[in-house]
Amino acid sequence: MKGKSALAIFVSKATGFLSRKLGTGAGTQLPGRIALRIDPQLARKLSGELEYGTVLITGTNGKTTTANILANILRISGYKPIHNRSGANLMHGVTTALSSSASLSGKLEGNIGIFEIDEATLPQAVVQLTPRLVVITNLFRDQLDRYGELESLAAKMNKGLREISQGDLLLNADDPLVATLGEGTSLNISYFGISDDRAGGGNLQHAADSKNCRSCGEPLAFHRVYYAHMGNYHCEYCGVSRPELTFSANMLEIKGIQETRLTMEGCGSPLRLTLKIPGFYNVYNALAAAGAACILRLDRDTIVKGIEEYSTVFGRAEWIEAEGRKIFLVLSKNPAGFNEVIRTISSDGKPDKVLLMALNDRVADGTDVSWIWDVDFENLVPHTGGIIATGIRAEDMALRMKYAGAPTHSIAIEKKFDRALKRALQAVPPGGVIYALTTYTATLELRKVMTRLGYVKGYWEE
Amino acid sequence: MTPILRICHLYPEMMNIYGDRGNIITLAQRCRWRGWDVEVSGISVGETIEPDYYDLYFMGGGQDREQMLVCEDLRSKKAQAIHQAVELKACFLTICGGYQLFGKYFITYTGEELPGIEVFDAWTVGGEKRFIGNVVAQAITTDGTTRTLVGFENHSGRTYLGPGSAPLARVKVGYGNNGEDGFEGCRYGNAFGTYLHGSLLPKNPWLADELILLALKRRYKLEELPPLDDTLELLAQRAAVRRSRMRRKR
Ligand SMILES: [Zn+2]
Repeated sequence: MKGKSALAIFVSKATGFLSRKLGTGAGTQLPGRIALRIDPQLARKLSGELEYGTVLITGTNGKTTTANILANILRISGYKPIHNRSGANLMHGVTTALSSSASLSGKLEGNIGIFEIDEATLPQAVVQLTPRLVVITNLFRDQLDRYGELESLAAKMNKGLREISQGDLLLNADDPLVATLGEGTSLNISYFGISDDRAGGGNLQHAADSKNCRSCGEPLAFHRVYYAHMGNYHCEYCGVSRPELTFSANMLEIKGIQETRLTMEGCGSPLRLTLKIPGFYNVYNALAAAGAACILRLDRDTIVKGIEEYSTVFGRAEWIEAEGRKIFLVLSKNPAGFNEVIRTISSDGKPDKVLLMALNDRVADGTDVSWIWDVDFENLVPHTGGIIATGIRAEDMALRMKYAGAPTHSIAIEKKFDRALKRALQAVPPGGVIYALTTYTATLELRKVMTRLGYVKGYWEE
Repeated sequence: MTPILRICHLYPEMMNIYGDRGNIITLAQRCRWRGWDVEVSGISVGETIEPDYYDLYFMGGGQDREQMLVCEDLRSKKAQAIHQAVELKACFLTICGGYQLFGKYFITYTGEELPGIEVFDAWTVGGEKRFIGNVVAQAITTDGTTRTLVGFENHSGRTYLGPGSAPLARVKVGYGNNGEDGFEGCRYGNAFGTYLHGSLLPKNPWLADELILLALKRRYKLEELPPLDDTLELLAQRAAVRRSRMRRKR
């Protein structure tokens, strides 16, 4: 590396070191931001050094889980993946990840890049990083207030993908908008989706986003809906239908919040996969990761092992021991995700659940909290004994639960996370479960409180 | 006779951006808590309306593509019945895209013209900048009472009112109809339009009750509604007002 790049790497590493020491938590974005200011080409140069190239994972939901599973499979297979931190999915975050594993001469500790990328950053990222594979999980409108219409976001993503001259593209066929993103590109396209007629339902949920045919505008007919607006669909007017699946999941068995089993076809003979993470959304995440692993020609046994061994590291869904109780902490940041969480936790058969519901409205959560009215909390209330609402918009969450049918005497508002947590622990007998449903920044803040109390390890110690 | 509120939800599949459904939930629950019945009918593209059957009509916002599909259907299949219902003093709540299409026309930022059904003396012109954020407004009332409205706006259309429609509220924080004249929403008879979406009615229970009263008193002897405990509603309203101060600082 020339002087400018070496300086950029050095400054980036130093900034990352300092912010870890100071515990400011800015360590995932700031170093890369500074490095890119010194050398705007740093990410391009460093990613060019990756022996096995770069994989980009984008979409509204599931990028972190998909990337984590794929990175785990790669590690088991003997690769050394370089992987950006959850949520650090702009070019700054990617640059931080690359420079923190680079020596000053530009030699990398890793040999393959697994980067989760914000949807709106994809066009920029493909030009900078020339990926060998791009994976797109789904598109929801939960961040519309930042990016404008879903349609124009999709058009920008498609335009970006047309800029790459070769490589693979793995798309979620069950998401009608995502399924069209490969149009006009020169990429080798594969599709993943669910093909189990016994699973899912026949109706779109209230939160459904992409329900009209992309070519003629008429409503799509869904033969099966698995999760939010994802399913097996066709258009009765112009004949467009879900693309043929390259990687398909069938024989689904969902076992409450503990695990899900499925059979994946498309990677040689059928693979029987066990996921230690709940819900349909994780079936899609696992399929995306397994499909990507198959495209990367990884060993079939390591795919099975990598998925099974995977347990969520950070926030998405984790079991935490606290004062003899268990806390099921799950990030619930938009209507589709929330509905899936509700479906999953309602199926464990436990009555009178104590819910700790944390609603924040910072930029990373979406500043508009109206979306909580699209969540079917009405399905959760019958399984609920008590509700502790917390976070910046605790009152909105409490009000939503009242209108969902929860008696007002069962709803408490505790704006501070530590007090809310204490109250939840008091409401549950030893051995019982607290269901903590939290938005993005609320997850971080609640976890910070639990780190202080010694229930979990800090983010940086993992 | 137990009152029953008949709600017509226009285009529930296509015009439902940002939690508009919360308004229907609120209307329905506030009737049920009073021991009254509620019937919600979704009316979609291609279907016709029986104008004097429904007491309250609701239409929410949609994405550009959905709004264009709906615009055509609204004019050809529903406009006549809606005008009849307005004459019959049925109650209307239209939000964002619904509000725009109930005006005279909407010229998008790219120059396309969407004709409206002219319930409101109002027109909308697309702008470049999107108005996004928490809004606090003071309702314009005839009897001088103070009524706070809180909500969230997210629109690039600028709506202007002619003399045939009255503004609903004066904006204290946020942009409102167009960011120029300080007004938010509009009212013509029992028909209301506003840019405040999603959780409008839950956090503004007085407006929810006013709509219910207007909708029901045509058929039932009702001068006022039995009161409900709105402690949580008002806590949430106050929290929204506090949160809006962040926006004023910017
Ligand atoms: Zn079609």
